[in-house]
Amino acid sequence: MVSMNAIACYFVSSMPDENTEIARGLQRRDPDLLDRLIEKYQHRLLRYLVYLTGRRDLAEDLFQETWIRVLERGRQYDGRHEFSTWLFTIARNQFIDHTRRKRPVSLDTLNNGENDGDTSTPFEITDTVQPTPFDATVQREQNQQISGGMQNIAIEYRETLVLRFQEGMSLGEIADVTGAPLGTVKSRIYRGLSALEPWVKGVRL
Amino acid sequence: MNPDSTNTDPKHDSAQHERARLLIVLSGAEALSHAELTDTEQSWLSAHLEFCSSCREFQEDSREKIRSLRAIPILASGHLVSATQMRVRRRAQELQRDQEHFWVICTCVAAVTLSSAVSAAAVWHGFEWIGQQTRLSAPAWESGFVVFYLMPAVVAGILLLARGTFLADDTGRFQD
Repeated sequence: MVSMNAIACYFVSSMPDENTEIARGLQRRDPDLLDRLIEKYQHRLLRYLVYLTGRRDLAEDLFQETWIRVLERGRQYDGRHEFSTWLFTIARNQFIDHTRRKRPVSLDTLNNGENDGDTSTPFEITDTVQPTPFDATVQREQNQQISGGMQNIAIEYRETLVLRFQEGMSLGEIADVTGAPLGTVKSRIYRGLSALEPWVKGVRL
Repeated sequence: MNPDSTNTDPKHDSAQHERARLLIVLSGAEALSHAELTDTEQSWLSAHLEFCSSCREFQEDSREKIRSLRAIPILASGHLVSATQMRVRRRAQELQRDQEHFWVICTCVAAVTLSSAVSAAAVWHGFEWIGQQTRLSAPAWESGFVVFYLMPAVVAGILLLARGTFLADDTGRFQD
């Protein structure tokens, strides 16, 4: 028990150290550090952007722009907060900038199906390794159902659900990333999950 | 949905159900490693779920939704990662070059400022002598002196301000 606690303490206390190291590397604009960060956060960041934008191609563009911005603005990161929170905030701002260039609206007023008038399939679901072809097919259908649901709920709900349930962020971290009050974050999670109801029911059928 | 759920309708008002459901969602319906509930909220919720079948069903539904959400795989391709790394490295080199140029400019500005300060008196006398030789009024040759001293700084300022405008490309370099 004692050793377990020691291990837990080590991991908890090593988090700020890791963030401090990242902050130092970003101060130096260390390209090797950035290579490692890109690899480490590749799936998480892309997933967030895919859900935020509703388009894979745009998400990939913003993915690159986000890392360029991390390089340029890296000196502003002080290491006192989680790097992932700062990274997602930058990604979000990149998306808002992109949207403003297209037309002047705020993220909160964006709704689904309005994104650039794009009607293509928003979420490209990759195949996963499954034990049997039947399971793979069922899993794929379920993923498509849920993805369809995510596409159809309001963007602020979608974003909050992804940060909470896919990225595992705390409510405080989500409030930091989105700039929304804690109460609003709670409400978005609750309403977002409720809005997914019809698609989850479809999955069970 | 829930096999052991019965029709025991709890004697709670809708506000309590609402509270319970909010807590269930905020806790991640036990799907997340870290819940956001205090001990008091946790114990209140447990007590409520003991005898509220509809909220237990809601918890199961929420768990299902969260499980489904977490099961969606969206992966970055290797090509995207390597292309991003290459772009970032290229941009880092550009920034490094800009940084070096910045120091060259700073050094030049310092040298010019120093030499200007040292030579100001001599140049002032030079302008005074030219003014006397050409029979110019004092304000005229004094204005000439001021323009002579300010013009390089004005030109440099205009060029620096023009960076990022139509005169320069995306990286701030002046177009040919």
